[in-house]
Amino acid sequence: MVDQKELVKVAKETLARKDVKYIIGYKKGSYGFQTSAAFAYTPKDVEEFIFTPLCNKNLAKYPLKEEKLPLKRGEEEDKRKIGLIVKGCDSRAISQVIQENGMKREEVVLIGIPCPGVIDQKVIEKRFPNQSEITEVTEIDDDYVFTIDGKEQKIPKQELLAEVCKTCEYPNPVLYDIIIGEEVEVNPKAEYEGIKELEDAPLENRWEYWEEQFQRCIRCYACREACPLCYCSTCMADLLEPQWIRRSVNISENTAWNIMRAFHLAGRCISCGACENACPMDIPLMELNKKLGKEVKEMFDYAPGLDIEAKPLLGSFNPDDPEEFIK
Amino acid sequence: MEDFEPNIIGFLCNWCSYAGSDLAGTSRIQYAPNVKVIRVMCSGRVNPMFVVNALQQGADGVLIGGCHPGDCHYQHGNFLARRRISVMKKLLEFMGINPERLKMTWVSAAEGRKFADVVNEVTEEIRKLGPNTKIRRKNEW
Repeated sequence: MVDQKELVKVAKETLARKDVKYIIGYKKGSYGFQTSAAFAYTPKDVEEFIFTPLCNKNLAKYPLKEEKLPLKRGEEEDKRKIGLIVKGCDSRAISQVIQENGMKREEVVLIGIPCPGVIDQKVIEKRFPNQSEITEVTEIDDDYVFTIDGKEQKIPKQELLAEVCKTCEYPNPVLYDIIIGEEVEVNPKAEYEGIKELEDAPLENRWEYWEEQFQRCIRCYACREACPLCYCSTCMADLLEPQWIRRSVNISENTAWNIMRAFHLAGRCISCGACENACPMDIPLMELNKKLGKEVKEMFDYAPGLDIEAKPLLGSFNPDDPEEFIK
Repeated sequence: MEDFEPNIIGFLCNWCSYAGSDLAGTSRIQYAPNVKVIRVMCSGRVNPMFVVNALQQGADGVLIGGCHPGDCHYQHGNFLARRRISVMKKLLEFMGINPERLKMTWVSAAEGRKFADVVNEVTEEIRKLGPNTKIRRKNEW
């Protein structure tokens, strides 16, 4: 893990630059195992920056959803950059967004941190359900160490590590201006092992599985709000004319919403797991994203978020694409 | 199941498939009446959500018709559609909705015969699959 002093030092240097507006990083949360996003406008704000295994939010969402107020007469647009602390997945999200012209490269300054994996919020909260005090977790060798009620806990890393981090292919930032800390070693692992069982199940069993999952969906759209790639100013799900999906919560509309969400992330999802982390009903959304990621890789040999010059998958084509399904 | 008549929505591109279906009509070719045609300007216009909405609103299958590769009136609309639909089929399959309910075909303006054959074939295949019950909208209040 990155030394906090070094992080603060680099962030301060970046904030001192004339062309940087503010820096987005992580700070301690208000209770339990949470961390929250911190927006540092002054060197004093930077002091509270941290980077621990609990920093599991994807910060790439914030520069995309920045509120731009209408300008007053004679006022100049603030064209300064936004500083952003990025892990491997955040940097891929930013790179994918730049590829899609969602933002420009010169709008952000990226402070990269090679990430050894973060804790799954849901798993740790389930294990220590009554922990309301702010807890700091440190990573020592292959264990997570933290104190609960004055008692030191030492838990093996693999037990708490988020599912997406276990199979992460790009823990080191792919796009950055400054990098802190040492590169993390990548152990290539079977990324699609988790969905294999479901893939091999018969069609009817798969539908039963998803029907049960989608029945629970309350359509809060937290998955959309957390996803760094769901940044459309008007989402299709919110439109009334035409109304693509109705607002009623039932299996038909829930499935339609989940098909829509998964399809819109086909060839774009960078597997950060933010949607699943945000889902209050614990729907395994990453299974859908992983499946599409796998298919896209197999059919079109395409991986999202690696090259800002590449063309978006569904906005380009190859005359030799597979077409055995066409009559 | 014997008297089940499949309800199929056909999204046909204005320049090739729609003209092909027109030719099938003017040539007085007899074919299954199950495909209800919606004309779109290009197969690339077909948003995959059209397919989902059709299935929700009572369709048993969806047929998308476009120009042959390389013949698109808009240069490459059908290539884009092909990519999109192939990804969509994989998603439907993974969710347990039979991907065979979503069909795609290339029919040119001169292929009235082929259009009739494709419609017959698709109708028979969907008839075998039976009615779509999975994501159908139940209009309950």
